Amino acid sequence: MSVCRPVRCLFASASLPKPASAPKRSFHASAPRAARKRRPHYPSIKAEDLKLLNQVAETNYPKYDTSETALLEKRYTPAQIVAIKAAETAIDSRDIVTQGRRRTDPWLLPYEDDLAEVDPVTDHAEKLDPSDIPGSHDFKDVNEEERDEAITFLANENLAKMFPDGLPEGELSEDTQRQLEEAMGTAVTQAVLDPRASFRVKNVHAAAALSDPRHSIVMPDLPRIDNRMVRQTRRLSSEEEEDPRQKRLLQYLNWDKQKLRSIRVKTLVVHGVTNQTRMGKIRSLYYLTIAGNQDGLLGVGEGKSTEPDEGRKQSVMAAIRNMRPIPRYENRTTYGDLEMKVGATKVQLFSRPPGFGLRVQHLIFELARAAGLQDLAAKTPRSRNKMNVIKATWEALCNQKLPDEIARARGKKLVDVRKVYYGGSVH
Amino acid sequence: MSLVNLAHVCSHLQNASKARLGLTSIPVSKMHVNLMLGLQREGFISSVTLGGTTPPTPFLLQDQIDPEEHSDMAQKLAAEPWAAYPSAEAKSGNLLGGREISYNVKVPQNPARRRLWLGLKFWNNEPVLKNMKLVSKPTRRIWLTSEDLGRITRTREAAYVKGLTHPGECMFLTTDRGILEARECVERKLGGMALCRVY
Repeated sequence: MSVCRPVRCLFASASLPKPASAPKRSFHASAPRAARKRRPHYPSIKAEDLKLLNQVAETNYPKYDTSETALLEKRYTPAQIVAIKAAETAIDSRDIVTQGRRRTDPWLLPYEDDLAEVDPVTDHAEKLDPSDIPGSHDFKDVNEEERDEAITFLANENLAKMFPDGLPEGELSEDTQRQLEEAMGTAVTQAVLDPRASFRVKNVHAAAALSDPRHSIVMPDLPRIDNRMVRQTRRLSSEEEEDPRQKRLLQYLNWDKQKLRSIRVKTLVVHGVTNQTRMGKIRSLYYLTIAGNQDGLLGVGEGKSTEPDEGRKQSVMAAIRNMRPIPRYENRTTYGDLEMKVGATKVQLFSRPPGFGLRVQHLIFELARAAGLQDLAAKTPRSRNKMNVIKATWEALCNQKLPDEIARARGKKLVDVRKVYYGGSVH
Repeated sequence: MSLVNLAHVCSHLQNASKARLGLTSIPVSKMHVNLMLGLQREGFISSVTLGGTTPPTPFLLQDQIDPEEHSDMAQKLAAEPWAAYPSAEAKSGNLLGGREISYNVKVPQNPARRRLWLGLKFWNNEPVLKNMKLVSKPTRRIWLTSEDLGRITRTREAAYVKGLTHPGECMFLTTDRGILEARECVERKLGGMALCRVY
């Protein structure tokens, strides 16, 4: 609303017709709106409470005093300090008291997230770069004499660190003797590896930086967490059992374990089957598993065994072994419409435009996802037996006719014009 | 123009492909001949030959000569061995430079005994022509405009005819310019009566 509005109203009041006040008639039993108690949007704060609030805000979030600003000036440029002060004034400390909330969720960090502390597991270790070293950064390679001297010095230093009370002297027991020898060995090795043994640096700070882990480009190891929980759940690679079937599969495929782990495997059908013999019924479990790398490979495997786990493993291995390449148009859909019949089951697959999604039933959805298809529609007009639907879909996807092949068969010449029009940026 | 015979031809070609026949015959009519020539142009069948009730001599044997002629030729060659080589005179007599192959096929005088012999194609152990179905039915003809055909060839449905969604699918129509493929009709902005779809 503009400032001159009230003035205009003053001058115009005589000429403007006043709206006739209509007789207020209520059409329903409930009290009219004005009669209801109106509450303000914000609770009104009493002057006393406001005073208390000001006090709490000042004590909990005090302004920077002179000693702190002096410290800040050491670290930041004047422009940065102006920005910091502007940021401080932008947020009212009373708002922090009234509205600020501390995290209470189970995933909150065990320390304040204001960079005052660095957690070795969750945070990156502190890093320093050459600009943090005052003075010159020049160094020289040492000659052999200097190197020997430096190694002796550093080895002594390391030994002193290992035995702060001084080296054990006099008659030594076998254990202590061996311990001492080992310690000397490590001290010398450390000294040889120390960069101070191979470079001579005049600048004291630069020399210190050579052995400072904060200057190293190698990330420090994560700290070893040692509590009961970790000890119980820890698994060593040597304890892991090698599955002979998996080993054979890897040999057959000429793959490594890493590649096997990238395969998406899902068991889609499980049911019990019984074999009636003259001794009685033998129950076993049947599994049907699919496997795919989500990039054009898809396999279906079956397994059956009286042991549930055994049958499952059988089916997984069979699925991975049976993986076959699936031609995909633009890496997202099929080449045209497909149809396949297995038993009484008929599966029709329809290719669809980009962004259509997988609008198919759940079994075909799993297969399409494992194969890396993104746009597909499907119909199963006849029987929907799970096993047959999966097999028919797999067969249909594997046995696609490619346009190139069709052109060869008909003796036609086929040219992909998309490669010309879109500068070859198609799949 | 009955479509019943065309329906028989469609299923016969499907059956012949499934049975892996190399050569098959259909009754002769102008529409059949033109449609088969269209199929040949699209590469679905290898040859279209007019013949009688017995199949025409296979192409490989047609170039062979009879045993009597063979003995005559042997005598002639013994006298003039140079006749084995092609001469300039023989070349000039051949107008198309040997590209056109003329077959001496015997066509019966009685039109009822004539048959159209088709050579079927197979590629990678699979028939090239796998599916052939009528679009118009004897009791319900379907005429399509060129706009409809444009939509159909772009895999969309038009005039209750499903789009050509299978890879390499073709549809044939009879137009006032003869029997044409659907894409050709779109190019020439022609409409017509849909006959059959093939893939």
